[in-house]
Amino acid sequence: MLAYLLRRLAWGAVTVVGVLLFLFWLFFLYADPQDVARRALGEKAPPEAVAQWLANHGYDKPAVWNPAAPLDTRLADHLRRMLTFDFGKSDADDTPIAARLADGIGPTLSVTVPLLLLGLPLAVSLALLVAFFRETYIDRAGVVLSVLAMSVSILIYILGGQFLLGKVLRWFPISGFDPDPGVVLRFLALPVLVGLVSHLGSDVRFYRAVFLEESNRDYVRTARAKGASDARVMARHVLPNALIPVLTNVSLAIPFLFTGSLLLESFFGIPGLGSITVEAIHANDFATLRVMVYLGALLFVAAQVLTDVAYTLVDPRVRLG
Amino acid sequence: MKRIAAALALAFAAACGNDPYPASDAASRVLYVPYAEAPKTLDPQVAYSVYDHEVIANLYETALEYHYLKRPFELIPALVEAVPEPQPRADGRIAYRFALRRGVRFAADPCFGLGTPGATQREVVAADWAFALQRIADPKVGSPVGATFAKIVGFSAFAERLAQLREREPGFAALRIDAQYARAGPVEGIATPDPWTLEIVLGEPYPQILYWFAMPFTSPVAWEAVAAYDGEAGRPRFAERAVGTGPYRIAEYAKRRRIALERNPTWWGVEHAGAGAPAAVYPIEGEPGDAEAGLLPDGVAGGPLPFLDRIEMRYEKELIPSFTKFAQGWYDRSKIPKESFDQAARGGTLSPEMQARGMRLDRTVMPGVYYVGFNMGDPVVGHAAGERGRKLRQAMSLAIDAPEFLRVFLNGRGIPAQSPVPPGLFGYDEHYRNPYRQVDLARARRLLAEAGYADGVDPATGRALRLTFDTGDPSVQARLRYEFLVAAWRRLGIDVEVAATSYNQFQEKVRRGAYQVFFWGWIADYPDPENFHFLLWSEMSQTRSGGPNSANFSDPRFDALFLDTRARANDAARLAGIRRMRALLEEERPWIEMFHPEDYSLSHAWLRLAKPSGMTMPVHKYWTVDPAARAAARAAWNQPVRWPAYALGALVVALLVPGVVTYLRERQ
Repeated sequence: MLAYLLRRLAWGAVTVVGVLLFLFWLFFLYADPQDVARRALGEKAPPEAVAQWLANHGYDKPAVWNPAAPLDTRLADHLRRMLTFDFGKSDADDTPIAARLADGIGPTLSVTVPLLLLGLPLAVSLALLVAFFRETYIDRAGVVLSVLAMSVSILIYILGGQFLLGKVLRWFPISGFDPDPGVVLRFLALPVLVGLVSHLGSDVRFYRAVFLEESNRDYVRTARAKGASDARVMARHVLPNALIPVLTNVSLAIPFLFTGSLLLESFFGIPGLGSITVEAIHANDFATLRVMVYLGALLFVAAQVLTDVAYTLVDPRVRLG
Repeated sequence: MKRIAAALALAFAAACGNDPYPASDAASRVLYVPYAEAPKTLDPQVAYSVYDHEVIANLYETALEYHYLKRPFELIPALVEAVPEPQPRADGRIAYRFALRRGVRFAADPCFGLGTPGATQREVVAADWAFALQRIADPKVGSPVGATFAKIVGFSAFAERLAQLREREPGFAALRIDAQYARAGPVEGIATPDPWTLEIVLGEPYPQILYWFAMPFTSPVAWEAVAAYDGEAGRPRFAERAVGTGPYRIAEYAKRRRIALERNPTWWGVEHAGAGAPAAVYPIEGEPGDAEAGLLPDGVAGGPLPFLDRIEMRYEKELIPSFTKFAQGWYDRSKIPKESFDQAARGGTLSPEMQARGMRLDRTVMPGVYYVGFNMGDPVVGHAAGERGRKLRQAMSLAIDAPEFLRVFLNGRGIPAQSPVPPGLFGYDEHYRNPYRQVDLARARRLLAEAGYADGVDPATGRALRLTFDTGDPSVQARLRYEFLVAAWRRLGIDVEVAATSYNQFQEKVRRGAYQVFFWGWIADYPDPENFHFLLWSEMSQTRSGGPNSANFSDPRFDALFLDTRARANDAARLAGIRRMRALLEEERPWIEMFHPEDYSLSHAWLRLAKPSGMTMPVHKYWTVDPAARAAARAAWNQPVRWPAYALGALVVALLVPGVVTYLRERQ
């Protein structure tokens, strides 16, 4: 198992280095830092101010090769910063990126954690329910509703939720965020609700298929033959044995726990990491974008490795090697 | 399980309700406004955007301010005793002596312990003003207005000395900032003969310098704050930690969520209000119509500022949710999103529903101008084409319908421009009609024929005259706008191709002078016609000097008039000079003036004394709200509609129960 893990980590490292080199090409060679400087300083900025800005941000250094000082290049700076997690300053407003991440992680987790904690049991329960009532109209209605729900864009859920629940029914604030304990739940309710509903269709359909496949296996028939009730069969036999696909689905969501949902955060005005990414895109803040993509890659690789390990815990038959 | 269900039910109950504010705010005189862009910096010497200045104007103050109510804008003394007069010197230099107001203190902050151990506050002295000006010169600070202040004698030399010391002397850059400036030596044209006097000396006449002393760039700054808040070792950066003299100070600065300002208890105005210091009290007079508009109510005029206890700014990136919150009463003032414009303000007047709710539509023409420019360095459309080029430009000007452009693309938010000078500025004439800015295709075709391009045909090629419209904005929205112009010229038979490139490629074209027609805009830094005419001064030629004269217009007659009017006060001679410049531009047509942008804002009835300005200036200290009226309206407008929740619950039960019953029956 150790050898397998080391091999996976090595491949993960190669992936991350590949991502870093791609980011370098995209943000240092393909994109023009003059654009970033103009955006940061405004249209009226004189050429001297632009030159000073480029120098202050290290964009005036040679890109890859500097014979006078081989380590004083944009490539070397980029790799050093990313690998040491010294992310530097935002191109848009010089805020330390680490500080922005620290500010953003709380709001992001306050949306994504409830989404995961409420969404997973809800989707699994509904999937169990429709699987339990398989081939009845509840099952068929569940499938139809799931397909309908997963066919609708999340944008429609967001705008519809804001319009209906925020504007017409006035149940929740239409957008915004305030960590004040007296009001924070009001701000989280609508985005969490919209997030839950928007993911529910695909999750229920997926888990239902998994549970149905599992409930057709021999051991389930054996359990039934022994007189176990349907509810007991589903809860004690089908559910534990269907955990691997569930785990895979959850592990894919782990990176987004931290990087946040770009659309949810952006439309609901939640100042999390997703919003930071969207703003960085709008503001040509390449320094922040690089960091967000890099962290996303790191989290993805880490989630993959952890999922492999988790397989061995939920299913003793799995051996890594 | 029961506990979890109970906790979820409690949480859901707490989550219900659309009031985004803690209940304790309801009775306070708090202003609630949204902001769409987080400030980039709170450093007054660096901040240049409207979003920065919206916040900074409450925290830092300037030597001079604009009169809150009077138009055209009028300078009044703020942190000085009087608006200084220029003092010409024998050597041609001009001096300005500012008598600083005494008793002005920086807001309390622990950084002052750096100067005097244990101190949390100190008085503002002339050295703080000099320090602020030195910061503008400091290349490391990156102030965008260094070139303007280079008119101060010795300003550039100081910047060079500082840069050289940092480059050559190891350890110099690590010195405290005040020590660095001291080592670099004083700026020759900045003197502080005593702690209450600041003198600046300009190398050339530039009366507009006073306007810069009404902008945050020149706000006094404490060296202690700059030294203490360097962003190192976990300390905040000066760009995020304001230590100013303003009527408000920061209560919370989470710029991507909330910026909260509270009264500065040691604001100088509190002590000076009794003496009627102009920037510390509400004005007693304004322009005609202000009294009728409720801007000069009894008991307020001459009263001490500020009126608001707190200013709550909430980050709202998306305009539609922000506007909905305004409609629900959670914001006191709002911009109108394009999508809701017709619903809110069709034809420039407020919709009946909004009027019924007591809302108010404030319209302000911004001190700016948008125009189509010709590159006068181009052989076809520019100076070199002589009379032929002039007539071509005149014909093209006659084809563009600015009112229609405004209607189609800007919901009519703007007024068609007749000359570079916008309304509200000295020299603007509302009765003037530029004969080349009225659509007249017949005349345009005649002019085109006289230019040798009959029916738009270029005799050199025998085909339609081909021009390029160069732009650094390749977006779809921009292309649509430019296609409007191209279609207008096509009616004359001229074939104009839109060459949309990246901003940098466009800049490169501009540097090389390889462009013909373009679209540009300018929002004034200060309310003086000079700030528009200099855009056509030959010294500011984009191709030659990198200046903002993107048309590369160069006419000795215009230059002479510009220099003459620039140095004059607003008198009859200046007005005559401005009219002569206007006549010259009317004939030469380096620009096709398009429009002066107009800002539309909505306010609720409970927001009072809010006069739109269009200029970046401190306004919040003059505003007030009626919290009782606001609380009543919010309560009435935000009753939740509950029946759908009950209906939904009933529907779920109705769907599930028969299914469960059927299933159980089948199993039996």
